[in-house]
Formats: sequence, C-alpha cells, structure tokens
Amino acid sequence: MKKFNRDSYRLRHQFDDIAWVSESGLDEAALICKFEEFMENRDNLPKPILKAMTFRMICRESRIAIDEDDIFQDKLFGGRLMLTQRNRWQKETVATFLAGEDAANDEAWTAYGAYRGHADFGHISPNTALLVREGFAGMLKRIEEAAARPGLTEKQQIFYESCRIMYQAMIDFTMRLARAVKPYSTENSEALAHIAVGAPDNMYEAMQILILYFFLHEYIAGARVRTLGRLDVLLSPFYENDLKNGSFTKAEIREMTYFFLNKFWSAGVPYDLPFCLGGTDRAGQEVTCELSYLIIEAYNALDIHSPKIHIRVSDKTPPDFVKQVLSFIRAGNSSFVFISDAVGIKSLERVGVEKEDARDFVPIGCYEPAVWGMEIGCTGNSDVNLAKAVEFALTGGVDGRTGKQISLKTGPIESYSDFLNAVKKHIRFMTEKAMEYVREIEKYYIDICPDPILSAMYEESLRRGVDVYEGGAKYNNSSVMFMGIATCADAIMAVKKLVFEDGDVTMAELCRILQANWAGAERLRHKALKACEKFGNNKEGVDEIAADIAHYAACITNGQPNNRSGVFKAAMFTVDYYVYLGERTMATPDGRLSGDILSKNLCATVAMDKKGITALIHSVTKMDHAEFPDGSVLDILLHPSAVQGEDGLDAFYGILMTYLQKGGFAMHGNIFNPEDLKAAQKNPEKYKNLQVRVCGWNAYFVNLSREEQDAFIRQAENNC
Amino acid sequence: MKGRIFEIKRFAVHDGDGIRTTCFLKGCPLSCVWCHNPEGISVLPQLAYYEEKCVHCGECVTACPAMVHSLTEGIHTLERDKCMHCGRCRDVCFGEALEIYGREVTVGEILPLLLEDRAFYGEKGGVTLSGGECLLQADFCAELLKRLKAEGVHTAVDTCGFVPREAIDKVMPYTDVFLYDMKAADASVHIKCTGRSNKIILENLAYIDDRGKPLEIRIPYVPGYNDGEMEGIGEILHTLKNLTKVRILPYHNYAGGKYAALSMENTLPGVLPEPAKLQMAADTLRRYVPTVYG
Repeated sequence: MKKFNRDSYRLRHQFDDIAWVSESGLDEAALICKFEEFMENRDNLPKPILKAMTFRMICRESRIAIDEDDIFQDKLFGGRLMLTQRNRWQKETVATFLAGEDAANDEAWTAYGAYRGHADFGHISPNTALLVREGFAGMLKRIEEAAARPGLTEKQQIFYESCRIMYQAMIDFTMRLARAVKPYSTENSEALAHIAVGAPDNMYEAMQILILYFFLHEYIAGARVRTLGRLDVLLSPFYENDLKNGSFTKAEIREMTYFFLNKFWSAGVPYDLPFCLGGTDRAGQEVTCELSYLIIEAYNALDIHSPKIHIRVSDKTPPDFVKQVLSFIRAGNSSFVFISDAVGIKSLERVGVEKEDARDFVPIGCYEPAVWGMEIGCTGNSDVNLAKAVEFALTGGVDGRTGKQISLKTGPIESYSDFLNAVKKHIRFMTEKAMEYVREIEKYYIDICPDPILSAMYEESLRRGVDVYEGGAKYNNSSVMFMGIATCADAIMAVKKLVFEDGDVTMAELCRILQANWAGAERLRHKALKACEKFGNNKEGVDEIAADIAHYAACITNGQPNNRSGVFKAAMFTVDYYVYLGERTMATPDGRLSGDILSKNLCATVAMDKKGITALIHSVTKMDHAEFPDGSVLDILLHPSAVQGEDGLDAFYGILMTYLQKGGFAMHGNIFNPEDLKAAQKNPEKYKNLQVRVCGWNAYFVNLSREEQDAFIRQAENNC
Repeated sequence: MKGRIFEIKRFAVHDGDGIRTTCFLKGCPLSCVWCHNPEGISVLPQLAYYEEKCVHCGECVTACPAMVHSLTEGIHTLERDKCMHCGRCRDVCFGEALEIYGREVTVGEILPLLLEDRAFYGEKGGVTLSGGECLLQADFCAELLKRLKAEGVHTAVDTCGFVPREAIDKVMPYTDVFLYDMKAADASVHIKCTGRSNKIILENLAYIDDRGKPLEIRIPYVPGYNDGEMEGIGEILHTLKNLTKVRILPYHNYAGGKYAALSMENTLPGVLPEPAKLQMAADTLRRYVPTVYG
C-alpha cells in the first residue's frame, strides 16, 4: 500500500492536465461525432435507453487515463456529452411546454430579484451504503431480478433495460481500468477486477468503488451527487473487518483515506462535495466510531476544503469528537457544518416522513436534510426574496426601481396590521408563483433527466420499476428557499416605529423617500438605523416579527403538494444571493440603501448584531427551525481571542451545544481577526490560503468579490 | 437599593470559568497606570466623546439642554462641567461618538439582564461582578449575588482587594470564587503602579484563603512597572491553600482611545511585553504554584 505523498504535485493536480491514453479509445472529436450521430439516428428510442446507450458508448469507447501516483483510478473522458444531452432535452422541453412561464419566471429573478422556480436535478441522496455492500455486479443482479418478474409494463421494461445497460457499462469501464493499471500496480488492478464482478471485500475496494461511482455518475452521466452519504456508516463495517482479519492496518487505512479525500479535492467539485459523519441510525443508536475520528484527523492533516464535512450532532455524539472539529475550525479549516439530529428528524417527520426513515437523514449540498436512499429532495428548487415583499407592500406590488407591476396591487395601508398582512400577501404571491413553475416543470422531469443509475440506488424505485424523477422514490419532494429574513424583519420593525408609533412619516412619504434612496432624509435614515430594533440583539419586538414571518413562510410551503406525489419543504438560507438580490432590491425602511446587500442566512443584517453571539443565538432560536425541513443555517464569526486555549475551545463548544439545545438546526463558523481580513484584501498574494466559510461551502477570501469581502470585514469588526 | 454600573459584557470567557456574563460596577479606589477601563475609576457618571467618530452634524448641540456641546467652524468642543449626563446627545449622535458611562440600576432591574444568557452557562459558567471595584458597592453586590445564588447561578467576584474587610464579609456567603488581582508584592512598587499600598490587599487575600474560598489570581504584567515582581508574588501565592488558577494578563494598550474620549490624563505605559519575557514570568510563577498556573 503506497503512502500518500502530501508534496506530490501530480497527486494534487491530477485533474489539471490529464494524460489521456490515445490508444485507449476515441478522441474528443470522434466521440462527439459518434454522439451526434447517435442523437440524430435514434430519435425514436425512449430517452432512458438513449441516455443509457450514450453512457455505455463513453464507458466502453472513450479514452481513459491512469494515475500512477494514486492508489485509486477513475479517469474517463466524458467531454460533458451527457450534460449537453440533458441540457438539450431541457431546452426542447421548456421551449415546447413552458416558454411563456419560463421567460416570466426568469425575469422575476434576474430583473427584479423577487422569486423564481427551477428544475432541480442536483440535490440527491443516493444509497451509497447499498452500492458498497452490493458492488456493481450485485446491483446488476438486483436489476435483472426485478426485470425478470412477470407482468411488467413496457415502460417498466424500458426502465429496467436502461438500468441494466448503465450498470453493465460501469462494470465494463471498471474492467478497462483494471487492465490498464496492471503494469503499474497489481494491487490496484486486482481490486478493480474484483469489484467489477463482486462486492467490495475490504476498505480499499469500498473506497475505490465509491470513487468510480461518483466520477461516473457526476462527471460522465451529468448528475450532481451532492453527498457521498454517511461515510462512517457505510465504511465502518469494512474498517472493523479489515482490522480484525489483518487485511489492512489502521495506518494503512489512514493512508488510503488521504488518497480518497485528495481525489475529490483535486477534482475541484463545485461547491465542495459533502459527506456526513455522526448522528443516530434508524434504531436511534449513535454512529460515531473510531473511523469517524480517523476521517476527520486525516481530513485536517491534508488542509483541504473539499470534500466538506457535515457533522450530525445528537445528544450522544461524543463531546471530544465535536470539540476536535471545533479546534479545526478555530485553526482555519472551516469546511464543516454542525447539524442537529433532533431538529432534522423532527422537521422531516412534520412533512410526513416516517420516524425510522427520518433518523437516517443525510444533509445534501449545504445542509438540506433528506432521507438517505429514499428521498429525492430537490432541495434547491426555488427562491423567494423576503425583503422584496416589504418593498411590494410599500409600493403596492411595483418594483421600486423600474416601476413595473410585479406582484399584487395591495394597499391602501391604514394600520400596522394592514402593512404586515400586505407583506405576507406578497410573500405568498411570490411563493405560489415559484411553486407553480416548479409544479409545471416537474411534469417533464422524466423527459429531461431520466436517471437509471440513481434509480437503481433507490430501493423503492427499483422495486416499482419507476424512475426516481418520475416519482419512483419513497419520498419525492420539492422546496422553497426563503432569503433575507433579518432585513425583512428589521424593515417591518422600522415601518412599525417610524410610521405607526412615532408618526415620523406617512406610508406614502416613506415610499417616496425609499424610491429616492433616502435622498434628503438623512435624519430619518439615521433614526431607522439607530433607534429601530434590529434582529439579532435578543429584542422582543423585532424578533417576534422575524419568527412570525418565518412561521408564515413555513406554513404556506410545508406540505403543499408538488407534481410528483410529494410535498414542498421550506428552507431559510440565502445560498450566495445576498449580494445579487440586494442589487435588485430598493432601499428598505430599516435604513438600508438601494442595491446594498441583504442579510445572509439566519444572521442579523450585517454588523447589526450589537450584543454579541449569545444575543444572536437567542434571537435566531425564537424561530422554530423544525419548520424548515429543507434546512436553515446560522453563520457565526468570532474573534480568535474568544476561542483561544482550552477554555476557549470549551466556550466554542458551549456556544454550539447551547444553540442546538435551544432548537438550532445548523451552524457553521469563521474565526477571524478583522485585521487579517483587511490585510488579505490589501495583499491577496500573502493570504492565498485564507479560507472562508460562505453559505455552505468554502472559498478563498481573496477570490471573493469586493462586496463579499467588505461584508465579512464589517461583520468581523462588529464582532471584535 | 441602587448600584452604579457602566457595562454588561456577554459571552465573557476571560472573567472566570466557562461562558459568563460580567457586570462592571463604577468606582475604584486604585489608580493603576495601565488601567484599561478608565471609565470605571470615578464613581460619578461620565460623558465620553470619541472624536474620531464625530461627523460634525451638530445634532448634539440641538439636543443638549445644558449647552455642553458647541460646533464652531467645524470644531466640536465640550464643556464637561456642565454635563448632567441625561444622555440626550448620545441618543441623537449620528456617528455614535458619544457615550455616558455609569447608570443606576436596582437589583430587580439588573437581575433579569444577568440571567438572560443562563442557557449558555452550563456547569462552569455564570455571572461575574467586576468593574472598577465592585466591592465599593458591597451591599448592592451582596443583594445581587444572593439573588443569583437563589437562581442556581455560579458567581464570581473580581476584586482588587483594596476594600474594607466588611465588604468581603458581606459578599462571601454568596460568592463561589474570588478573582483576585495582584499587581506587586513590594509595597513601594505597588504604590508606583496603583497609587496605594498593598497592605490591606494582602491581608484580605490571606483572609479569603483562610475561609476556604476558591481563589483565581490574575497578575497583570507591565514592563517597567511590575515586571520585577514575579518572584515576590510567587512567594505569596505559594502560601495560599485555595488557589484554583493563576494567570498572567499581558499588558495591552488598546484603551488609549478611552482616555482621550473621557478627557482623562492618559497614564498608559508605552512599552508592551515581549513574548520571551512573558514566558520567563510564567515559568517563574509556575515554579511557585506548579499545579495551578494556567
């Protein structure tokens, strides 16, 4: 077993300039030619079959590459063909069935920053545990057994045939790699040959098959895997066996883990590829084990930020495990998020998931909970800008900057409760428009993205012979992400005080002032900023507003039927849209200028949390996070001195655990000294490796936009 | 009964164990040259003006009932003697350049503020009374601490020890740990550093220790003033039986802006501690109290 060489340039940059072996297969031009021929002449073939055959062609005939320095092989030239194929199908489908809706939907977001819905093939939770238990051959056998049952419809037969073709193709590719790597490594060759025909026997084979699955499904077939699943759960049987049988030592498994993690790091998976550790299993038992510790230690030693790690925390998760992760975050390795077991489970139960299923949830993408191997969560389906609802309440549904009527003609407003109701009407309007679009396009998911590979990894789908994108999974859900809650609450609070309590302005005057971006109203703006309560300071008034709006958003979303026999789930996070939406939102009553950023995730409006982390947590946990089964997150930013030393680590742990005990769902953090951030802004070359935790992934600070950098600096200075 | 406070700090992690809320009381019998809470020295309320934040809007001039503020040719001047500490200027200040340090509160008013974060205290955290010198308001502190103990909250009293014995007796039944500052062992050095002798301070220290109360000692390390006192302090600490922790607090000069804002003479020393010297000081102390230096 090779040892991982941390200084190996080739290992870390193995995807930069791949040395495709020319004799091994078709070059790009020939591949594209064959693909186009394919698409042209086989129009009458059902799409699942077309897709499967395209995949098979690539697996059998496209060029491969071998990494001599690595212990894992994976490289197949896909030319992004299958993604092209899917995009083409999406374009055709939308043009045929949704042209008008699509344009309006797009405009509502890109021009006005209000709302949008979209197809979501990028948030899945495939049962990787099943895959490593069965191997490709085992999966193929299951497919063939299901396909052999009598009384299947033609559609089901087509489905099973497409699965069969794709899994056979994966086996064929594995064999090609086994042959090609033989001159360089007998060990690697034997492992590949073995997993081509049988189930993985040990950790090495289990990791190799996971890697093969990921790269084939994501980079060749065009999926976005967005979680490898509960890594300690699926690998610990191999870990225990290997140590018991003496197949591998702990040290060797550690080396393998370095190679394994490095593989995903060097591939540069967009938004970082997640996997999950910790939490309870279906029976309610805590899963954290020796392997969980080995994985996080190996991860920390590599100093990478992809994969990213989701840590499920139950009341039985060992404190030292959590503290070790906190110590990594403290040292700048912040590509972690902590997720509450209890709240995740409860939130899924509230949308009809059975308890045992809910316990086996896996966070997808950033932190959206979905049932492992049973749910297609589509957790990034639609977005609604809550701050825009305030704008619409002021203007009667008109976009403040362009004058275009976008939402309902609400008004006139005589009282505070009229105003609050108007805001809610606009939230409802935008949410329903987004859900409407999602429901429309969901009808055509199967025409855009049949996914046999994925479907075979969902037991229900395989049993029923129905593709996961046609409602074949046990749970087929959709989602709405709500953005800018703090800005929204602060703005409503400001209207309450300035218009209805103190009578400083009338509604009409305020609207005019905001449309003029506060020009000539400096004193009023100052009062809005300084004398009106802001969310995040543990103040009853504004926190109640935030909780009320959050509750309303959840109520109009959760449980609403989608078009795949499932339901919508609400989320409260901003992805990276707080700058984008801010640019499209007019000045708001809380004192914000037109075009300025909105609040991020569950956080206070930037630098408006003046009472420290405890007050922020009080405010944030007044909302019921279990009402957001599509996830929510609080970003915290602490000064290094606050978490220094043994006491500091305990304090950090105390903050996290209190947040979770108070009902918080997810938390991630940055530990920053504002001076370092300012220096990094001035001298980026000296701070190339400064990592920053963004919405649910990490970026290098020096690569962020100026606005994003400034937002971090402002927050860090505020938190000093 | 009222107390005069100037600050409530949340998520305090350097004022005793765990996560705490610290209440700072106004008024101090010492005048440490390196004091980084100069707003805590006087018992009286004080107006602070942070010149660098002033945006010269003139709102304070309009708001002030006592004509304290003037703005002439872009220059903002203050007649502090006239100030009644009503706070109206602070409320309207666009630049957040004005602050009134020192407000009166009853135990009933302050208690809920100190209990607000109790979910975070856990087993080790709680509430700390500090300042200034909190034991100059011993009756108030005793009442407050008693109520905190009734709520099951862990209590710490941060004191310089230059207080009447009775003050200590009043709070002792309700105090879980004393955070005790030690500046110097030698009396004349102590006077140079703080303006007062350390005789009573050392007597009170021994008294608290004799009564069996846990003690956490904090030693500010200030080059040119008490950097030669580590051996002497170590010898004293060595005689104590109830030490839980001893730590050095390296001098910092972040508080410079406050002196200017308060129009107080800035006595802050210019020399910052060197890491190597700090290490030596720590090593010295560790020799005397090896089990508790941390």
